[in-house]
Amino acid sequence: MKNFLHKEGTRSVLASLISILIGLVAGSILILVVGLTTKGLGLKSAWEGIQLVFFGLFSTGRNASGALTFGFNPSIVGNMLFRATPVILTGLSVAVAFKTGLFNIGAPGQYLAGTTVTLLIALSIPTGVGDLAAYQAAQGIVPAVTYPTWFVWTLAFLGGLLAGALWGAIPGLLKSLLNINEVIACIMTNWIAANLATWVFDVSNLKNVIENTKTSYIYKTTVNGVATSKMGLDQLFPGSQVNGSILIAIALAVVVYVILSKTTFGYQLKACGSNRYAARYAGIKDKRNIVLSMAIAGSLAGAAGSLYYLSGNTEFFWSTYQQLPAVGFNGIPVALLASNHPIGVIFAGMFMSMLDIAGLQLTNLTAYNEYITDVIIAVIVYLAAFSLVIRMWLSGSGKRRHRREEKIIPATQETNNSENIDRPAGDGKEAAEK
Amino acid sequence: MSFLIRQTLIYAVPLMIVALAGIFAERSGIINLALEGIMIFGAFIGVLFVRLVQQWGWFDAAMAAKNWPALQGFMVLAMAVAALFGALFSLLLAFAAINLKADQTIGGTALNLMAPALVLFFIRLIANQNTLQMYTGDSASWFMIKKTMLGYAKTDKLGFFAETFLNKVYLATYLCIIIYVILAVILYKTRFGLRLRSCGENPQAADSLGINVVKMRYAGVTISGALAGLGGFVYAMTTANCSANGDVAGFGFLALAVMIFGNWKPLNVAGAALLFGLFKCVAASYASLDLNGDGRFLLKEIGVNINFYRILPYLITLVVLAFTSKSSRAPKAEGIPYDKGSR
Amino acid sequence: MDNAPNYVIEMLHITKEFPGIKANDDVTLQLKKGEIHALLGENGAGKSTLMSVLFGLYQPEEGIIKKDGVEVQINDPNDATALHIGMVHQHFKLIDVFTVLDNIILGAEDTKMGFLQKKAARKKVQELSERYGLKVDLDAKIEDITVGMQQRVEILKMLYRDNEVLIFDEPTAVLTPQEIEELMEIMRGLTREGKSILFISHKLNEIMEVSDRVTVLRKGRYVGTVETASTTKEELSRMMVGRPVQLVVDKDEAHPGKPVLEVEHLHVPSKLYKRDAVSDVSFTVRAGEILCIAGIDGNGQTDLVYALTGLEKPSHGKITLEGHDITHASIRKHSEAGMSHIPEDRHKHGLILDFTLEQNMVLQRFEEKQFQNHGFIRFDETRKYAEKLIEQYDVRSGQGPITKCRSMSGGNQQKAIVAREIDRDLPLIVAVQPTRGLDVGAIEYIHGQLVKQRDEGKAVLLVSLELDEVMNLSDRILVMYEGQIVGEFNPKEVTVEELGLYMAGAKRQTAEPKKEAEA
Repeated sequence: MKNFLHKEGTRSVLASLISILIGLVAGSILILVVGLTTKGLGLKSAWEGIQLVFFGLFSTGRNASGALTFGFNPSIVGNMLFRATPVILTGLSVAVAFKTGLFNIGAPGQYLAGTTVTLLIALSIPTGVGDLAAYQAAQGIVPAVTYPTWFVWTLAFLGGLLAGALWGAIPGLLKSLLNINEVIACIMTNWIAANLATWVFDVSNLKNVIENTKTSYIYKTTVNGVATSKMGLDQLFPGSQVNGSILIAIALAVVVYVILSKTTFGYQLKACGSNRYAARYAGIKDKRNIVLSMAIAGSLAGAAGSLYYLSGNTEFFWSTYQQLPAVGFNGIPVALLASNHPIGVIFAGMFMSMLDIAGLQLTNLTAYNEYITDVIIAVIVYLAAFSLVIRMWLSGSGKRRHRREEKIIPATQETNNSENIDRPAGDGKEAAEK
Repeated sequence: MSFLIRQTLIYAVPLMIVALAGIFAERSGIINLALEGIMIFGAFIGVLFVRLVQQWGWFDAAMAAKNWPALQGFMVLAMAVAALFGALFSLLLAFAAINLKADQTIGGTALNLMAPALVLFFIRLIANQNTLQMYTGDSASWFMIKKTMLGYAKTDKLGFFAETFLNKVYLATYLCIIIYVILAVILYKTRFGLRLRSCGENPQAADSLGINVVKMRYAGVTISGALAGLGGFVYAMTTANCSANGDVAGFGFLALAVMIFGNWKPLNVAGAALLFGLFKCVAASYASLDLNGDGRFLLKEIGVNINFYRILPYLITLVVLAFTSKSSRAPKAEGIPYDKGSR
Repeated sequence: MDNAPNYVIEMLHITKEFPGIKANDDVTLQLKKGEIHALLGENGAGKSTLMSVLFGLYQPEEGIIKKDGVEVQINDPNDATALHIGMVHQHFKLIDVFTVLDNIILGAEDTKMGFLQKKAARKKVQELSERYGLKVDLDAKIEDITVGMQQRVEILKMLYRDNEVLIFDEPTAVLTPQEIEELMEIMRGLTREGKSILFISHKLNEIMEVSDRVTVLRKGRYVGTVETASTTKEELSRMMVGRPVQLVVDKDEAHPGKPVLEVEHLHVPSKLYKRDAVSDVSFTVRAGEILCIAGIDGNGQTDLVYALTGLEKPSHGKITLEGHDITHASIRKHSEAGMSHIPEDRHKHGLILDFTLEQNMVLQRFEEKQFQNHGFIRFDETRKYAEKLIEQYDVRSGQGPITKCRSMSGGNQQKAIVAREIDRDLPLIVAVQPTRGLDVGAIEYIHGQLVKQRDEGKAVLLVSLELDEVMNLSDRILVMYEGQIVGEFNPKEVTVEELGLYMAGAKRQTAEPKKEAEA
């Protein structure tokens, strides 16, 4: 047991679970306070709300007497998996960058870049099937060549990956060559992406004109016959939106895990992230690794957008210039919750989408609404900001015992040095420290 | 032209005041990435305050009596409330960053997630929709200053200056400019300002001279929160008809960029904010922009896509940062938790 | 003990312990009013600790401090300031972007309704500046003025606060010779006005020139206090370093072979100051010898090593390793050309503390065939290799190869680095302060390893601040002072006192020390 507690992985998981619990409790308290102070709500409604916060995934509505009912509903679980796909991928994106000591707040922009290119490819290359072909044929447009849908799907997905990678590489390049803070560069590229996406679709002919009142949306990819394969998941979770993309996301998480922990490339990335000076001392090219890390992070966020809209049953609201996709930002809590572990990201992503479902249930079944779950997420991120404090507290007694085993070191030098390294490589602080 | 100047100011002033919020935090040594969130929170609180007070009889009486000074005073009060709550909200960041020595970037991100979530949660409860509006009236009907309010007739010609600065303007715009000037003076001309700036540059040195770094940093973050809350409400008031919807369209982040662009100096930041305000204004109203009054909409005729103008501020920021990154001087100690032990 | 009334500061029987080391052991220091009192000692002799105690940064375990004969408690720098004790720290406590005047008044500002009133302050500073000959430009920013002027600002800061006891922590380390001359004059002027000065230094020339009395510390202990007028540099040097050499390394005669590393006219610009940190340095390291670069900290050794290993770019000169010109080569190329490097700062450069021991063991070699297969790490090989090194070099850790390096002791961290670097089996080993902060056992071990490498025909370049290490280990000694090589010695023919004189800048060889290199 003692050894178990001292394992770093265990401590991380434990710290995350505690954060989640505190977050859920904070959300419950908010519900309770609101319930007790608002006319017409009261304790009973607050209790229902709290139940849904914790068990929303298993809510099956209300019975005849108006009480909440719970049970296993495959379509809800399927939808949970469907919604988990993009946050798992943006979570991976943020986690990969964190491993190299970078804060990728640019996932929303990379997500939009992936979405844009994917939709352009998926809808512009004629397949000869679907409503779009029929609509165009009615207007006398018949493409000379058509391509199989699987081919277009693959091209669209890869295009999304590449677009995301490119969009992520920009702040990476600015950081490594000009030492521009990646946070501010990411924020700027986010808004540029949002405006570019709006521009591209505004002048494109991909606005949904087939259905009435839908011109602010882009066609679903199914109108061109392109959609991600269900891979049998629709059998498992009948009635849900789930498709094969969750499997792709999990596969990508495994690939990222393998790259980070099994390859020399991952070794270099982590070395740059943990101690840029030592990495340089060892002859590792830190600047190149920063760009590569951001490109990979970008491609993962791009994949998130790509897969979400290739599902075939989602439509893209193209006028994004005033709002960034929340799923991009949600990658941050997912990565933090998972302590940046790629496999952990899978579970953290599912947890996030569970909260999402719970939020919907709250909106549908009670007087409360889904934003309570965003409050919970924010509390969790806030706790993550000083997760080190929590982790140290968890391992309090163990740490002290370790200390005693060490040979004693003159205090002054040793502590000073380690403090300097703990910080991510800073802007010209190298010179200042000397 | 009058229109262009007015509109530019309307966009530039919130940017300016929020960028100043960034300056106060960073000059004390704390990176305040939460400006966006605090703006959202401030906007909500301000609108909520206005909405609640409007439900008292007092407001209708004042409207009926056309008691413009009282109504303007009410708006000023709402601004103060928004600032107060912005300051309170920012204490969350101060506590995490100063007392718990937390990662300031992640802490700020948490506040950015927290604000829209809380705000939308309550807006939904209160209004049963995603936008919280005033209880009654719109900006034109009571708090926008018009020439009729000043005693002129609607048809009077006032001349360029008065037409630009006295008609269809907001008191908040000028109040913010005054606050901006006062705070910039405080930052540079008072003991408090000198000490605050020393904590963002070299807290060890400040500490060795008997300056309480923790107190100074709390002060920096709190002032920052108050300004961002105020800026958020002014934004909502002047560009969104005094309504809150849990979003300020990235203005908080843009303000951060403006701050870096202006090299953490109030005068440069004001210039940068005006430039950004101009672009925002052009992007928002380019189709109806008649620069020389000849009835032709020049920008529209050039035929450049509106989205190009929307992208410009962000693109220019990146380009400017690329060119100035070598000479740009962030406060040296920003982002580093101060540890009394490491002298 | 009865005190003469003219002592302004007395530190009596001060003992200050850090975990595992007594930094000050029963040290006594008495400062007379109006004198310049030098505090002399090698690196790590406990001078800075003693002054930190006086300035309230540390609390001593034993001993008392008296001001004007009255016992006082100094808990923090504010207490020290209240007692009119001021300190010029070795690393200046200045705000770079503030003006000189702002820096001087910071923390002691005059205000009216909160607004700064600088007029009176300006006048006072101007008066002080004239009275003591401290020329400064009050409106210039710190970052734009010379280091000498920055120091004068620090002095003015103390005078502005009416301090009477002025502590100077190694004030000449960063100054040019002319600036040092000026500083001496300023210090004399200050004492004429009744100020008392404590002057920390290890440069004998300066101490002889400016001080009235000298207190010498060695290894945390009080050696003695002497009148400067009645002593000599030689005697001071003996007091500072003189002791039987404590550690004896068992080694045979060296048999230097072909040149491995050749350095010609190397210049390295300083990061902080507008002069060269390394200036016109030339030397050769041969196979089968240990060449040691001795000197007091901060005389350009670090910059020299950075340039040799590729971490920094030299501005002039040429570096040749095994016949390859590596002057501008990448760090990786340095490795490939045959250089291994035991870095000075094991936490900053030597190890990735959050990595495991085995990951750190292959820090430079992870891309070699032995440790990877098509880009995949060969964990079994890495583990085997790490276990071999751990076994062979006796690296002790909690969980063996999978121990996080952060949790290892300093000695074992250093052993791990030494093991890694030596086992790369390259013709040149650059070892910088390889035994810093280690216990005797670890020191002996590392010394033994370096000698063994020499005997196997490796070239070893050792940079050390420890005279024991220099005398014991080296086959040839170069002394570095202010960025230049000021002397070359055979350790068998030189005494530590003699070396001390060169290290402290009191003597220098006029002949070019690199004759042999050109042969």
